Amino acid sequence: MNNRLYWALPLITGVLMIGIWYAIKWTNDLPHYILPSPDEIIRAGFAEKDVLFKAARETIVGAVIGFLSAGSIGFALALILSSSSWIKASLYPWVLFLQMIPIIVMVPIFVLWLGPGLPSVAIITFMIGFFPIVANTTQGLISTEKNMVDLFTLYNASKLQEIFFLRVPYALPYFLTGLKIAASLAVIGALTGEIFAGSASGSGGLGFMVVVYNSQLKIPELFATAIVACALGFIFVSMVLVLSWYLLRHWHESVAQKDS
Amino acid sequence: MIKESTQLSFKNVGKSYGRGKTVIEAIDLTIFQGEFVSLIGPSGCGKSTILKLVAGLTPVTDGDLKVDSKSPEKAREAMAFIFQEATLLPWLTVSNNIQVPLRLLQWEKSKREEVANRLIELVGLSAVNDYYPRQLSGGMQMRVSIARALTLSPKILLLDEPFGALDEMTREHLNEELLAIRAQEEWTALFVTHSVPEAVFLSSRIIILSANPGRIYKTIAIDFPYPRKPELRESLEYQQAVADVSHHLRSVER
Repeated sequence: MNNRLYWALPLITGVLMIGIWYAIKWTNDLPHYILPSPDEIIRAGFAEKDVLFKAARETIVGAVIGFLSAGSIGFALALILSSSSWIKASLYPWVLFLQMIPIIVMVPIFVLWLGPGLPSVAIITFMIGFFPIVANTTQGLISTEKNMVDLFTLYNASKLQEIFFLRVPYALPYFLTGLKIAASLAVIGALTGEIFAGSASGSGGLGFMVVVYNSQLKIPELFATAIVACALGFIFVSMVLVLSWYLLRHWHESVAQKDS
Repeated sequence: MIKESTQLSFKNVGKSYGRGKTVIEAIDLTIFQGEFVSLIGPSGCGKSTILKLVAGLTPVTDGDLKVDSKSPEKAREAMAFIFQEATLLPWLTVSNNIQVPLRLLQWEKSKREEVANRLIELVGLSAVNDYYPRQLSGGMQMRVSIARALTLSPKILLLDEPFGALDEMTREHLNEELLAIRAQEEWTALFVTHSVPEAVFLSSRIIILSANPGRIYKTIAIDFPYPRKPELRESLEYQQAVADVSHHLRSVER
């Protein structure tokens, strides 16, 4: 596929989808509180831009705190899990089991414990990103090639050397995969948190605005909020992709394919 | 050939896993300093297991095995292992891969680089010093692996089918290079292979193993003097030796 087509095709599908959107709206004569048109959404978004901007900032804070703690604590737990087969045998099944808890059920419980506001939002974001990171990183740490481990044994490497000089770099691509999943879930997690735990002070993040707009039947504004949330998620994932490219660019097939 | 001090001594060595699956049995073998000994045999004869026992990667379950008159685990400083795959760390450059053993011993950077540079030159890879393993061919990766094995000037080199995955041409080149390097470094080699011509070209002694469980079937001395030139492969005596070893190998496999 040539380069121009590569850029043109998604634009064409985008235009087509917007056309279908208008067609549905006009043929069924839908009012703006059922299905707003794209232009109504954009106008509503601009009218509310100060509110949305402020809300987005709050959401970012919650998402970043939750995401970073999921990354660091998840990585640390994976290290602990992989360090001994005893610890792994006693904890890992529970990690996998807890992963199955629908996070939405936990949300009211955290709000009950921590009250509304940032701590609840951050911990919900944390919960949603934590398990994919632990599961992926642990997988990487324990699947290090046998011959490489033997090599380290032959050179009388200490346990710490084996972990930090061999297992951790080996697991890095796995960790980054977990991080990518967590990044795509971070904004969703923060929004979910805010819908339940939105506001401790009368203002809140995007999730809180969802509740407010919904109660006021401001449907175009609701759609605009969704678009802002999309953009935030996109930024989060992009940042992890850049980090991942930077760390793996020399050696990992997933990102290094083109330069050899 | 210098045959003064014993480097490896197997006395009635056996190895079995778990509930009595015997891999090798009653191995009696003495390898002297400076020898190049190849182990060859059908699959299931436990030749790789013998290397692992020598390296102390898995314990002997029967008999007595001494490396440099010590137990295998205690003699690790004297040994280096070359695996079938190059087993390079993909996130390190060629130079840094070669330095891994030195880094584990916490040598300082300048000394590490000095050793690495010398070895990179020895295996002819100076031009790709800063490359990452994925940018190298299989043969080049194996050269890096050999260089890494030589960093601590081992007395004994254990090679587990190191050239098995390479094409014929590359394999022959590396055989010649291996002998050239050995002429300078003078380690004792224990070499596992599937290739009879390779074993004959490299070895001073070939040990044919029989399978299930692995036992020594026959020992054949290869008396061509070192240094051996590539032309050796064209000589009648060499062809005869290859035919001879192949013949014995076939009679084991039957």
